Amino acid sequence: MKTLLGTFAGAAMVIAGAATMTAAQEYPYRDITTAVVWGAGGGTDTINRMIMAEMEKHLPVSINVINQTGGVAGSNGMVYVMNQPDDGYTLVGLSESNVTAAVQGGWDKKFDFWYPFIVGGSPDLISVPANSSYATLEELVDAAKAAPGTIPAAASGAGSIHHLNLLAIENGAGAEFKFVPYKGSAPGQEAAIAGEVALVVTSLAEQAPLIEGGELKPLAMLTPQSAEIAGITVPSAFDIYDGLDAYLPLKQAIGFAVHNSASDEVKAKLTEAFDAAMAGEAVAEWAAANHYDIGGQSGEEAQALFSNLESNFAYTLQDLGVATVDPASLGIEKP
Amino acid sequence: MDFVLSQLAGFGGAFAALVVDPLTYLYLVTSVFLGIMFGALPGLTATLAVTILTGFFGNKIPLDYSLIALLGAYVGAIYGGSYPSILLNIPGTAASAATAMDGHPLAKAGRGGEALGLTTTASFIGTLIGTFALLIFVWVLLLISKNIASPEKALLALFGILLSGTLMSEDLVIKGWIAGLIGLAMAMVGLDPLLSEPRYTFGWSYMMSGFQVVPVLMGAFAVPQVIDGLRHAEVGKLTQFTDRIVPSLASIRRYLPTITRSGVIGTGVGALPGVGEDVAGWVSYGVGKTVSKDGGKFGKGSIEGLLSAETANNACIGGALIPLLVLGIPGSPPAAALMGAFMINNVIPGPTIDPAIILRVVAILVMASLTMFLMGLFTARVFIRILRIPQTVFLPVVLVLTTIGSFSVGGGINDLYLMLGVGFVAYFMNMLAFPIAPLVIGVILGGLFDETFRRSLFLSDGDLTVFASRPGAAILLALNAALILSQIPAVQRAFGRLRGRAA
Repeated sequence: MKTLLGTFAGAAMVIAGAATMTAAQEYPYRDITTAVVWGAGGGTDTINRMIMAEMEKHLPVSINVINQTGGVAGSNGMVYVMNQPDDGYTLVGLSESNVTAAVQGGWDKKFDFWYPFIVGGSPDLISVPANSSYATLEELVDAAKAAPGTIPAAASGAGSIHHLNLLAIENGAGAEFKFVPYKGSAPGQEAAIAGEVALVVTSLAEQAPLIEGGELKPLAMLTPQSAEIAGITVPSAFDIYDGLDAYLPLKQAIGFAVHNSASDEVKAKLTEAFDAAMAGEAVAEWAAANHYDIGGQSGEEAQALFSNLESNFAYTLQDLGVATVDPASLGIEKP
Repeated sequence: MDFVLSQLAGFGGAFAALVVDPLTYLYLVTSVFLGIMFGALPGLTATLAVTILTGFFGNKIPLDYSLIALLGAYVGAIYGGSYPSILLNIPGTAASAATAMDGHPLAKAGRGGEALGLTTTASFIGTLIGTFALLIFVWVLLLISKNIASPEKALLALFGILLSGTLMSEDLVIKGWIAGLIGLAMAMVGLDPLLSEPRYTFGWSYMMSGFQVVPVLMGAFAVPQVIDGLRHAEVGKLTQFTDRIVPSLASIRRYLPTITRSGVIGTGVGALPGVGEDVAGWVSYGVGKTVSKDGGKFGKGSIEGLLSAETANNACIGGALIPLLVLGIPGSPPAAALMGAFMINNVIPGPTIDPAIILRVVAILVMASLTMFLMGLFTARVFIRILRIPQTVFLPVVLVLTTIGSFSVGGGINDLYLMLGVGFVAYFMNMLAFPIAPLVIGVILGGLFDETFRRSLFLSDGDLTVFASRPGAAILLALNAALILSQIPAVQRAFGRLRGRAA
């Protein structure tokens, strides 16, 4: 009971912004807080809670995970962490979708403000309701070509990784669907089951229980590799349509980050714990059970990956007319 | 029938395993107590309780035990929200807003102990009804919830707003609807849910994420209460009350039909994805007011009104777990937090979940509701002493607690300005006899209505018939129309004449 209340009191104190002590001893000597910018129960939240628990085993302190949601593309949480000292005691839990916060007016920083660590991501795929008349991706694309812009498609919110994947398959296969935005992957998948939309593009991790339960019928993976799930081999869309590699794959990158301005000592300590955790069996088991691919990139390698995603997202959003800030004005280069 | 029997047998096994394990009690008592505390503190929600415990337990202890802690806190928090609703007229969580309508008048009449005792019993029975449905009717409820699409959700949200407007008005129903529409308008602020266009933000980034529910809830209920209390406080005057809390068997038997009906409604609402405890309380309250012989007394301290709301929000828990466990789609916000806890432990809720886990969840819920019942009768005794504290001391403390609650949602200092702003508007609305609850319901359900209404039209290319062409939607549309028509004087007169002729 005491420890329970203690943890809560600790979390409350951090929320109150009391974490402003200066680092005098060797890092880390007090508890670290990770503020996840997406809601509890989602992919980014789950991954952060999992990896932080593993990293704790390689650090002398505890890591508390809190959620700081809201704003534009998770900008509330990023601004919150930005305003904390860059001493490595406040980390931010984020995902690839946060790279759009700047061009959507949520904050005014390029993504290289962060020093990221990528745990992994789950590949996207295109699925239809179990009772759908489309049995293959070709049938679906042919139907869309016959009646452009009428077949309703769900793919999470506008400007999300799933939306970009949908756009990529449209461009690559020369089909046009009617994109219907949903607030997240789960409501989009729900809509597919209820028959409100004819197809849904989300990640394998998110669709897995519905495919295994026979609610959704997978048509094609949007990655070069095929996948095995529930005894079905899901073919790769790359094998069906040539030239998709010009647009795909666009993959999730979920993990956490520290201020890029943090000291080298902090970055080294975090990298050490991160690498040790990623090499552990618990992470591998978790990834296999949840249909995630392990990343493991950190530092400059991860920054390069995010910068690529950032320019891709930013200019796609500008083309869609939903970017409120010109990406060039932020110094984001064209992909 | 075989299915029912095998489920019952499996439940018996899981329950026995739980009862003989001494560690169960340690986790249960701690978490239920923590949950009640969270529910009872204004602004701290059941979702927050489950989220914090998820973070604390995560994958540090086996899933079997973390489930006990999480479900215990969930049940406790939904129940704990009834304390401040009844004693202070400030709902501890959005789920218990409907509880305040009849609970507080009862407390003012000196029947607070009786009200707390009955809600404890009703919450207990409600949880059991929801749990029983989770065990037996899992597939039937699933069939219904799977066929709910955007048009139905939009009409259900609109019904909730109109219904609370109709029920809460002291004099003119139109005043309730006006308050509801103000809430609906407030819900429009922020990035629009379909195309991410900023609306009514005036270029201010705080407004982009829209108005948070908790600061609005706290502002609307707590601030006017504190202002009013301090204006009319008489130093040394205390509310008189009787101490009897444990309800008599006779009164439980008398209210059993109400409790059962509300339990069934709560479970059904809970099973709909994305619709949670807050809506369950209102829908059940509305149905209760319509079908009860006592309907006229609702809002003036009716036990039946109190039980309608409080049974339903607890029954909602079992209902909300059905789509979570069977489809992997959480039925309410706390259930979404619960989903995270499963996934951290490599258990993916959905069709592939191990049936033994469902049985264990059911067994834990039964144990948790029992713990809540016994502990509730004890904590209610402590909480009712709050009424003995002089208002001049207590109300400032309440204001501090609600401020902390509003701040806890993470929007920063602006959320506190929002709370105070809504509070002052609410105070003057109270003076003009405009009900404030529909405004809050408008903010809570407005987002859902906005999103689903526009998406329905987007899908149908602007064709309004989508709201009538599906069977579920047609029924809900008829309910909405009936609700509005029943308040138009000409229609009321026509009905009166018809009734006169029949008699």
